[in-house]
Amino acid sequence: MWWVWVIVALVVIALVVAAVLLVQSRRRRGGVIVDPTRPAGRPRRGGGV
Amino acid sequence: MRLMRTSEVTKRPVVTFSGEDIAQIKDVVYSAGGGAVGGFTLAGRGMFSGPLKQGLAWSSVAALGADAVMVRDETVLEPTQSILDASASSGGSGGDVLGSQVLTDSGVALGTVVDVIIQVDQPAGGQCDVVGYEIEASEALGSKGTRVLMPLPDTLAASGEHLMVPAAAKDFVAQDLAGFGAAVLAFRAQLEGPG
Repeated sequence: MWWVWVIVALVVIALVVAAVLLVQSRRRRGGVIVDPTRPAGRPRRGGGV
Repeated sequence: MRLMRTSEVTKRPVVTFSGEDIAQIKDVVYSAGGGAVGGFTLAGRGMFSGPLKQGLAWSSVAALGADAVMVRDETVLEPTQSILDASASSGGSGGDVLGSQVLTDSGVALGTVVDVIIQVDQPAGGQCDVVGYEIEASEALGSKGTRVLMPLPDTLAASGEHLMVPAAAKDFVAQDLAGFGAAVLAFRAQLEGPG
């Protein structure tokens, strides 16, 4: 029954790869950010817009 | 000067004049005070690469082309935090406007933001301003579920949850980008008044 373990291993690998791709696609998803929160007490840098 | 949706800009590759593909656009960052786009956060180009710690200031963009964002070289990138700080305001509550609700100053919900419209001047020394939202209309606009373009005033009130617009904005909605530039000008002229 060694082939069962091979199939289980392949399924686990496929699931891990799919999960990594899903997480990465979410992290790379674009947005439009308005007025980013500036930590209190942090000096404003750059020219500002 | 041209109008475009921010969804056309995100995921666009950032390419140097020497032809090196160094990143791709992730987020567009802008300030509610004036609506000027301060820059972009970046993501890596590989399938497994995530967000980068470096961002791209609008002032460093050499050209915003149809297929790529051109920069002089890799040295123009700067820490993402400085890009965010440049667009931060003291009272800003920040956040992604996509999915936020648009409210008039009379308290009527006009819809949900699905995209943002920017007006791009020549990047070298020019400006890039947020001039409107594309929203999925609510019943208040009489066309629930359809996508319409809503002009914005020069100075916005915005947070990650609610975006405020003057009630008059709903009289200037457009269906497509072709006539939207004129709608923005007419809307802003009305807000400024005859004087």
